[in-house]
Amino acid sequence: MSRVVYDGTPIEYEEGDSLALAALRAGQHPARGGTLCMAGDCGNCVAIVDGTPWVRTCQTDARPGIVVRRHPNGSHPSPGGPEQHTSVTVRHRTADHVVVGHGESGAAAAAALRAEGHDVTVFDAADGDEVVGVFDGPSVIVRRADGIDHFHVHHITLATGAAEVQPVCPGNLLAGIYTPKAAAVAIAAGIDLGTVVTVGHDVKAFHGEGRVSEVEFRDGTRVACDSVIADLGSAPRDVLARMAPLVPVEVVGPAAQAHPLPPVAEEGVLCPCGKITVEDLQGVWDKGFRDLELVKRASLCGVGTCQGGVCMPHLRSFVADRSGVEPKPFTGRPAARQVTLAEAAAGYHIDTFRRTPLHAEHEALGANLDKFGGWFRPWNYGDPIAEYWAVREGVSLGDVSTLGKMLVSGPDVVEALERLYPNHVHDIKVGRSRYVINLNERGHVLDDGMICREGDTRFLLTFTSGGASTAEMWVRDWVETWGLKVHVLDRTVSHGAINVTGPLAGELLRRAGVADDDRPKFLQHRHVTVAGVPCHIMRLSFTGEASYELHHQIDRSVELWQALMELGRPLGIKPHGLQALFGLRLEKGHVIVGQDTELDSSPRRINMDWAVKMEKADFLGREALARTANLPDERRLFGFTMDGPAPLEGSVIRVDGDVVGHVTSSWDSPMYGHAVLLGWQKRLPHADVVEIDGREARVSPVPFYDKEGARARM
Amino acid sequence: MPACEPLVGWRIIADPTALDQAPWPAGSHVVRISPDDVFLIGAAEPTVPADPHAIVTPEHGFAGASLTADEVDHTALHHIEWQLPAVRPALAQGQIAGVPAKLVLHADGSALLLVACAARHELEDRLA
Repeated sequence: MSRVVYDGTPIEYEEGDSLALAALRAGQHPARGGTLCMAGDCGNCVAIVDGTPWVRTCQTDARPGIVVRRHPNGSHPSPGGPEQHTSVTVRHRTADHVVVGHGESGAAAAAALRAEGHDVTVFDAADGDEVVGVFDGPSVIVRRADGIDHFHVHHITLATGAAEVQPVCPGNLLAGIYTPKAAAVAIAAGIDLGTVVTVGHDVKAFHGEGRVSEVEFRDGTRVACDSVIADLGSAPRDVLARMAPLVPVEVVGPAAQAHPLPPVAEEGVLCPCGKITVEDLQGVWDKGFRDLELVKRASLCGVGTCQGGVCMPHLRSFVADRSGVEPKPFTGRPAARQVTLAEAAAGYHIDTFRRTPLHAEHEALGANLDKFGGWFRPWNYGDPIAEYWAVREGVSLGDVSTLGKMLVSGPDVVEALERLYPNHVHDIKVGRSRYVINLNERGHVLDDGMICREGDTRFLLTFTSGGASTAEMWVRDWVETWGLKVHVLDRTVSHGAINVTGPLAGELLRRAGVADDDRPKFLQHRHVTVAGVPCHIMRLSFTGEASYELHHQIDRSVELWQALMELGRPLGIKPHGLQALFGLRLEKGHVIVGQDTELDSSPRRINMDWAVKMEKADFLGREALARTANLPDERRLFGFTMDGPAPLEGSVIRVDGDVVGHVTSSWDSPMYGHAVLLGWQKRLPHADVVEIDGREARVSPVPFYDKEGARARM
Repeated sequence: MPACEPLVGWRIIADPTALDQAPWPAGSHVVRISPDDVFLIGAAEPTVPADPHAIVTPEHGFAGASLTADEVDHTALHHIEWQLPAVRPALAQGQIAGVPAKLVLHADGSALLLVACAARHELEDRLA
């Protein structure tokens, strides 16, 4: 005989034994007590197997060297274990018709389907194919020894049979109690159950110390015993059928049959998984929870290891007794069997974070890269203050390849853009550009960017890095809705962009071969070759300084970046990351959509009415803005200044001790030596002086820096 | 899995009818991303369709890798949650290992895997 280690003690088992049988063979309960089903229906035999908790020992073959530990007495095991750190193989498969269960009804169903010409795949836990979940799709999740299979199927037939009802009465957590089938399994394995008493619904209580030694019947009779067989009927094993309400699942055999509910339990543990008693249920009932789903949620009866396999018939009987109406079974939730975190995560991927073509350049420059707006972006290059001053006083490069970039062209393009944007588009001259905000139908700010006119019927639109993907759908959806002829090309990932910014930006471009006459003026754009690289230069400013965005094909990004860095070396050029950029733009009072705005921020609330031309006949959001224009609006984004260190973004803003808003952007301005902020006040009247972090902050008009905007036009 | 290498081509956005009737250069490969969207590979010069508003521009945003039929099957089994088209040749588009990508499926079962250059490192890591 081979041996397994059970709670530190080697025990012998015979070929074909499950771990639960091995424990019984050694005279032990596989867990700490409770009726055994030996069919995987209950949680009364779960233990920690080779480090993985919640494993049904009755469904796990004994193997040499396997180590089993019982769960801690009175508490749950930690979810740790070696499997949690192991990648689990996932396979995506397809199947026409899946039958779960290959007992009598399952075999018959499979045969009938095959006779009709269906391609049938049969799963059964006995074959190592443990179906743990059914999802809308439909998909069937199958756990196997070598991984998790996700079956994408067309039809599902469940032939999962029926589970034996377990007793609920005082003493039902003692060892030595079996369902009839469990007893048969044990006896067939040659395990001596000793003196056995078979009980039905006439049982009142089990007595014993740790293990049953006496049965008490309702008529008062007491019978001594070594083991009890509780023959209480069956209930459908149909949790998989209740998991995906949108999936048409055919249930056949005993799983589909009506089974009478057991008599209502009067006392005892009704839910062995959670040790929830009849008294607990009564307490929930008395608090007013009357629907089965609510009783389940309030008591947690049915959310444990067995997912209602044991408690469901008794719980339904309880509710039927109290309400007079027999309730339907509650919803099933994946997983039907405990899975490890690794199994649950198999095949799941975190979001994709893209890399700009300059990723390696940033790494070589020692950038601290962060995930922002779906991209890896330089947060800083080690000295954000030096990066700041390079922009304010010299020249700096910023990688803005992540900006949304969209070409639109077509006979209806002007009409489409006039409808999409709240500002005028028709009067933008070729070679000129305009800052724009995007609104939704409610008049709330979705995004912002630039419109650059390339020709009579051709424009380049830019969007924020985080808003680019949504913007494409937004444009396409509306153009299609309106039936307008507009071609759309999102070239966000095929074009890089480098922002050359600072008072020496023009000088750097001169050194890169751009004649002064070829340099676009503020809010102009032009196609020019820079350091040998064809670029589309856009003149704008987010930093507050003269800025030239050099848009180009991404295969030339590295060449362009390196050339500019080399040419800029005598000018003291430094690249800047997002940390400096966010401070620079904050000094200019530029909002970052999504950081400084909220989901319902209108242009008025963020002081950008000027970007909306209500004299236009129509545009997205116009109706909502017109309807709300004269309503009092307590929400307003303000600029603030305060002494001392800049508070954390998200800090609470108070007036007279009351919370009125929060800080959205915060920066210790190297230029001014104090903090500059943006933040919300959401209560009228708006105060001129507020309290942040227990310190005084004063409302200050924005921009904080270069109020005339002269530096951006240098 | 082979590494994804940057591809050079042309992107052509035009009326579907114009694209249907466009005389594509001999030896080039036309990836019809959508009815109005073509990625043209292997052409020195782009085809300009009969649409005055067509967008025709060099395209350097894709990286690609040639997959054998076995590699396609392996990728589909372990990394694609959706069903590949049974009829070949075909273009299949969706997430592969969670990364948006395209498979230009050839009649012999092999394929050209296309992914945005910006996401190719992520895809390569996940398929490794």
